[in-house]
Amino acid sequence: MKTVRILLLGLLTLTLLATPAVAPVPAFERAGDRKILVFAGRQEVPTIDPSVKYDWSIRMMQQALYDALVKYVGNPPEIVPWLAERWEVSPDAKTWTFHLVKNARFHSGDPVTAEAVRWSFARTLKLNQGPAWTLSDFLKDDGIKVLNDHTIQFTLTQPYAPFLSWVPWWYVMNPKQVMANEQAGDLGQKWLTDNAAGSGPFKIKRWQQGVLYEIEAVDGYWKGWPSKDHVGGVILKLVRESAAQRAALLRGEADIVEGLSADDYDQVARTPGIVVPNFPGMTTFGLKMNTQKAPTNDANLRKAVAHAFDYDSLIKIYNGNAILQTSPFPNATRGHVAVPGFPRQDLAKAKEFLAKSAYPNGGIELEYVYVQGLEEERKMGLVLIDNLGKLNLKVKMVPLTWPNMVARGAKVESSPDLMAVFTTPLSTDPDAVAYQYHRNSYGKYYASSFYQNADVWGLIERARTLAKWEDRAPLYADIQKRIAADAPELFGMLANRRWGMRDHVKGFVFSPVRFTGEVDVYPLTIVAK
Amino acid sequence: MLFGLLCLTFAISHVMPGDPARLAAGPDANESMVETLRAKYGLDRPLGVQFVRYLGGVVTGDLGQSLRSRNAVLDDLVRYFPNTFELVTLALLLAVVVGVPLGMLSAVYQNTWIDHVTRVVSVSGVALPAFWLGLMLQLLVGLYLGWLPLGGRLGLTATPPAPITHLLFVDALLRGEWRTFADAVAHAVLPVVTLCFPALASIMRVNRAEMLETLRQDYIVTARAQGFSGFRVVTRYALRNAMIPTFTMIGLRYGWMLGGTVLIETVFDWPGIGLYAVNAAVSSDFQPIMGVTLVIGLNFMLANLLVDLAYGWLDPRVRRASVA
Repeated sequence: MKTVRILLLGLLTLTLLATPAVAPVPAFERAGDRKILVFAGRQEVPTIDPSVKYDWSIRMMQQALYDALVKYVGNPPEIVPWLAERWEVSPDAKTWTFHLVKNARFHSGDPVTAEAVRWSFARTLKLNQGPAWTLSDFLKDDGIKVLNDHTIQFTLTQPYAPFLSWVPWWYVMNPKQVMANEQAGDLGQKWLTDNAAGSGPFKIKRWQQGVLYEIEAVDGYWKGWPSKDHVGGVILKLVRESAAQRAALLRGEADIVEGLSADDYDQVARTPGIVVPNFPGMTTFGLKMNTQKAPTNDANLRKAVAHAFDYDSLIKIYNGNAILQTSPFPNATRGHVAVPGFPRQDLAKAKEFLAKSAYPNGGIELEYVYVQGLEEERKMGLVLIDNLGKLNLKVKMVPLTWPNMVARGAKVESSPDLMAVFTTPLSTDPDAVAYQYHRNSYGKYYASSFYQNADVWGLIERARTLAKWEDRAPLYADIQKRIAADAPELFGMLANRRWGMRDHVKGFVFSPVRFTGEVDVYPLTIVAK
Repeated sequence: MLFGLLCLTFAISHVMPGDPARLAAGPDANESMVETLRAKYGLDRPLGVQFVRYLGGVVTGDLGQSLRSRNAVLDDLVRYFPNTFELVTLALLLAVVVGVPLGMLSAVYQNTWIDHVTRVVSVSGVALPAFWLGLMLQLLVGLYLGWLPLGGRLGLTATPPAPITHLLFVDALLRGEWRTFADAVAHAVLPVVTLCFPALASIMRVNRAEMLETLRQDYIVTARAQGFSGFRVVTRYALRNAMIPTFTMIGLRYGWMLGGTVLIETVFDWPGIGLYAVNAAVSSDFQPIMGVTLVIGLNFMLANLLVDLAYGWLDPRVRRASVA
């Protein structure tokens, strides 16, 4: 007993000693006269090959090392000229012609030519990985034509209006450099895993896989720098634990951190010298309901669930840093409309729908599958248990690892009744979200509701081929309303994107089309006090 | 034994739900992209063919390719295993160096304040979750007191020495990079102490129990009656016998620690094999999982071989039996 008491006292003392708020130390790394920004992130960058893979950490590095013809900037996101100074599109949205700037150069010194652009697009299509899926249905190798050194033309196999919205993620590589490092016909894949052949504002300095990735600013970057105080380099340091990330920020060992918990963000936001940019993102959170398997193939049951759920709890889980969805489309998506009568908690209505369903008295159990270890999703499950209990519906919470969830959601037979899913669309074009509800998306995690509505599919197929926005916009408004009416999921919320940032970091430009955690480091500056 | 281990790991990793090709292709990939990857990595072949190809590769030193990192598994293991090896070896050495004398003292001074203090340490070591201890040490010593770095193997601007053995401490010494060595030591203190604590507690408890039993043996009483000094009786006669079960435990601990460092590696951003294995497991990336299993299995066997050899050194009866 005495031992236990001593142990408890020791624990308490340790905890108390470790708890006091620590005065932040304003610091960033310096390399000579360069100011190096330290970004503490949890996610590795296993490869930076632009043709092979993307996620937030990979793309943050790709965006720094490479340029594309155009770039997403700002909030709401705008597509601005980059390697292409201007472009034209044919009236049928089938032929796209880009005119390149003449002063762009790769880090090797070679000029960025139309041939380099052609080769880069062809390489991505041939490898059939990474962003290839965004255009491979419409663009073939022989549809890319170099008109002259600075003009390139893409002729699509069929009209496709959203084409431009995907182009920012097709980075341009230096073919000469890549092919010089080709091994056994791999088109440079092995070499490009941790080497870059780009023309972006940064180049690789150190690449210590599993530890840190350091890039340094390119002196005389062809596009110029937005400020003379621009960062001289960026170190993406892997800090895998949220508490360690927070500690690194407080101690001044990191200038930016991502992925803290809602409570941690609130705490660091109150610390002098630290700011927390806080913006509504484009990542939707919803509970996908299997529309082709009983019991959730019953539309009235789905609507009952959608009207029984306490949506405000979603906001509370994120300490107020989230907004509710008002449509199947995120707010930043072009053509978003707030759908009238979008489900909110209304128990009377929920009971009405349940009465019309095949389970008027409830008495069934619904399986709620969520990512193991994701506390927010676990809390949402608890809310669901409480809410659906009022309809005499039971909820079985099943935490699964992400691979297991993806496997479950890939087939109608195994897809659960309710599956918690965060989805970030890759483009601001409405087609990027609408197509998630098309039958061709079956098998992907975000299509685990196996939504079926031939009319909606027809509208989606038609809307993507129309060249004029005026013609497309009403179709997408209709699509949003029809999907909402079918209730293939419990449309939840858009959690805010947040970062913990030292206040000497300036120039941060938020763009919701970037992934959670991803920061465009090009405009960042460090202004030492 | 290794073959059995490989068979078992292969079977388990292939019955797990999850399509590695789909996960590697990315969440948005269409079916043709998934098929491209499946063909590229031979995942479209029958399981038997995949296993035979894998075994053939293992014999020639090819452990396959990671779908997640897109690297050869062997290259990844060369990168990550030395870090875990150094961490575990240092932690275990510290646990032995501190745990054995403390266990001995605790037994010799049974039911005195020395015994009570060491028991508190041993109970804490067993009871405290390693990740909590790590976080607390990190917050207290790293953040609040600022004495030691929060994590990683080296400072942000430090460059590791060019690899000779791939062991950072050894390479820094061999290259004469004293500043790097000191930096590495500073970064290693917290993770080593955290990982060492549970092992230290177990070693202390086992050693104490064995010492208590040994000290009651007739030959110890005889030795004391013959006028040998207490120090000599304890260190020369009692400790040597008490160490046999302790060594068994150290061998088992070593194997367990090699495969159980993931939480420490996560808290302290130690780029080791544990994190590599967990990342592979959550991506259904089974080639690295099998590679890690193989390496840990090999090391486990090696550690137990060393323990067996140590028995002979500690106990002349074992030596004589093996000679006979």
